[in-house]
Amino acid sequence: MASEAVRGDQPYDERVVVELVPVLRRVVGARIKDPHTVEDLVQETLARLMSSSRRVDPDKLHQYAAVTARHVVATYAERNDRARNRSHLLADPSDAPPPTEDLLLQEDREFVAAALERLSAEDRDLLVAHEVQGQDTTTMAAELGSTPGAVAARLSRARASLRVEYLLAAEAIDPPSDRCRPVLRALSSSDRRRQRELDASGHLLECETCSQLADRLFERRGQPAEDGVVRVPVSRDADVVTARQQGREVAARAGFSTSAQTLVATAISEISRNIVKFADRGEVAISLVTEDGRQGVRVVARDVGPGIADPDVALRDGYSTYHGLGLGLPGAKRLMDRFHLSSVPGEGTTVTMEKWLT
Amino acid sequence: MPTDVPTAPHVPLPASILSQGPNLIVSIHAALDDEQLERLQRDLLERVGRDRCRGILIDVAALDVLDSFAARTLADLAYMAQLRGARTVVVGIAPDVAMTLVRLGVRIPLTQTALDLEEGLEWLGT
Amino acid sequence: MTDETSTPTGAEGDRGDELLLPELVAHLRDHRTQLRQQWAERITDAHLLSSMTNQEVFSEATSVYDNYVEVLETGSVKALQHYARDLSERIIPRGVETHEVIGIVLLLRDVLARSLFEKYRDDFELLNRVLDAYEPAANRIANTVAVSFVEQRERVIRDQQDALLELSTPVLQVRERLLILPIIGVLDQTRAQQLTEQLLHGIRAHRAKLVVIDVTGVPDMDENVANSLVDTVTASRLMGADVIITGLSSEIAQTLVTIGVDLSKMHTVGDLQGGIEEAERQLGFRVSKVPDAD
Repeated sequence: MASEAVRGDQPYDERVVVELVPVLRRVVGARIKDPHTVEDLVQETLARLMSSSRRVDPDKLHQYAAVTARHVVATYAERNDRARNRSHLLADPSDAPPPTEDLLLQEDREFVAAALERLSAEDRDLLVAHEVQGQDTTTMAAELGSTPGAVAARLSRARASLRVEYLLAAEAIDPPSDRCRPVLRALSSSDRRRQRELDASGHLLECETCSQLADRLFERRGQPAEDGVVRVPVSRDADVVTARQQGREVAARAGFSTSAQTLVATAISEISRNIVKFADRGEVAISLVTEDGRQGVRVVARDVGPGIADPDVALRDGYSTYHGLGLGLPGAKRLMDRFHLSSVPGEGTTVTMEKWLT
Repeated sequence: MPTDVPTAPHVPLPASILSQGPNLIVSIHAALDDEQLERLQRDLLERVGRDRCRGILIDVAALDVLDSFAARTLADLAYMAQLRGARTVVVGIAPDVAMTLVRLGVRIPLTQTALDLEEGLEWLGT
Repeated sequence: MTDETSTPTGAEGDRGDELLLPELVAHLRDHRTQLRQQWAERITDAHLLSSMTNQEVFSEATSVYDNYVEVLETGSVKALQHYARDLSERIIPRGVETHEVIGIVLLLRDVLARSLFEKYRDDFELLNRVLDAYEPAANRIANTVAVSFVEQRERVIRDQQDALLELSTPVLQVRERLLILPIIGVLDQTRAQQLTEQLLHGIRAHRAKLVVIDVTGVPDMDENVANSLVDTVTASRLMGADVIITGLSSEIAQTLVTIGVDLSKMHTVGDLQGGIEEAERQLGFRVSKVPDAD
């Protein structure tokens, strides 16, 4: 464990450091072509390792050194504005720069160590082989009897898991449920299919811990997240206003007239109020949709709460359990073109509604 | 930005209340959330009692959304103010907002309404 | 080859082919007067653009011809696109149809191909290469012109439809603070909603206090439309304007009662004339009465 790794402030044995040099050359050399730059970066890595006040278990030193080297290379690449060109070498094959980089650059080696520890032996071996020993995916695939593509995909998943474990270690969080880890890993690896299987967004609404971690992983709040979906977390009165203003903006982007924008904004106001009144918290997701060449706006409001025992009754005019006109749900339904309500008592409610350009 | 409407009770409402003769002229500047609407309702009823107002004019021209809760709150305000001897008129409902309120199912006019400030004041009899 | 993406200079082959297009362009420039004349004649013979005078046809033909040569030379359809849109805008109101536009472009292609044939007929192999270089460019030009025309035409049709919808529900101001909305023809829900929107904006623009909605010209009303009419009245009141409905036929009144509309809450007057008189009385009544009113 990381805590055992602390050895006070004694400097590293010089021989240990010298042993590191070939490892570092391999790690840096796998990413940088110019030999002078490689040497510079190896030296820089060594300097960082030496100057670090924290000491780690000598057994893990190679791994930490490798991770530090990656940071140094990443920093270098960014400095040279080449991060993007080299991202296929540096990190995930996906376009987006992985959220790990910033976190890892904090150089908290202990957290990385703890995170590596929590990975499956398989994932750890893969990462070490690729990142530390500098093996390329073709070689690895040959050894494993697999294809380079499959190895790359497994590496990507392993990195995503490492990110999650790093975050958990850094925040000293023990996930409250068995669902947390799989959900976080699916989010971290941007695996949409897996996210759907696990109902990741449903879990995020239920689990305060994961919701915060996911925010840290993606800085999701108020940002158009995946595929231009605008997500507004709803738990208090002011969020209702935010949600409807966001809805109006999306509707405007879809080309709706101001009167249609007002209909959409008002419907969102009604259904997000229901979240505030009846549920602990929820989320309103607003997105542009097209169908048969027509443009539309889709609003999905989901909450974690008591649910609605009888949706048919709730959709009837005048049904009100709080101080209102009882027009919330039926009113919103009248304002939109499509409206669907599903609810599981004790779990929560999801309202999906759409408005289409005529 | 109206998205960051403060909600702590000590933060002033994005609305101004002016005393003009026997009337209160309320002008709402930005979107109000439910808590703020209820606070406005409380403040106004308190002032009606304290200042013995005869009329309340609420200008909602700046509001781009009036939903069922806002409609209900305004209607309740009008009713309770009436019990304390003050008449209420809501002015400046935008065309889009009026249409949406009706589609929402607000079938009966909830309070006396007038086109704008001038009309509202005329109705209040100043 | 009719591959739209190939540029005029994109044809593969030996080095001589790169010179083919410039040569072709030079040929078309040299024979401009004659070829353009031929084309205009063929247009007239084929009874295309019959709504335009010969002089107009000739002048447009000249412009298209020059643009055509320019596309062959530069490989860029930007200028042609712009011209085609402009041309479409001018000829659509004259009743020019899509098939005519496609027809004239194909004719030009034919005229030019014939002239190339004439020029290179002694060297069959060279002719083939010239045509290979010419055809993709010609197709691209034909495509550009036709697409611009069709797009422009669709836009005009949409604009006309919008204008018609607006015309069919005019909001008239008869005197200060009084609007009249005569509804003529079949009302459906879309039109009813549009009408409401126009009326509400009219109320604000004219600072109207009273609206007379005359439905004498409405033959029939189903439940949805009747509800929309009630919505219109309610929305107008929310904006501070009262509504008088005139010209309700007994059938429509029946519908309203059947769906549960309380007609006593709707202010109705027999005919438009009576409605206007009533409205004027109310406006006058108010002006004189308000100071005394409680």
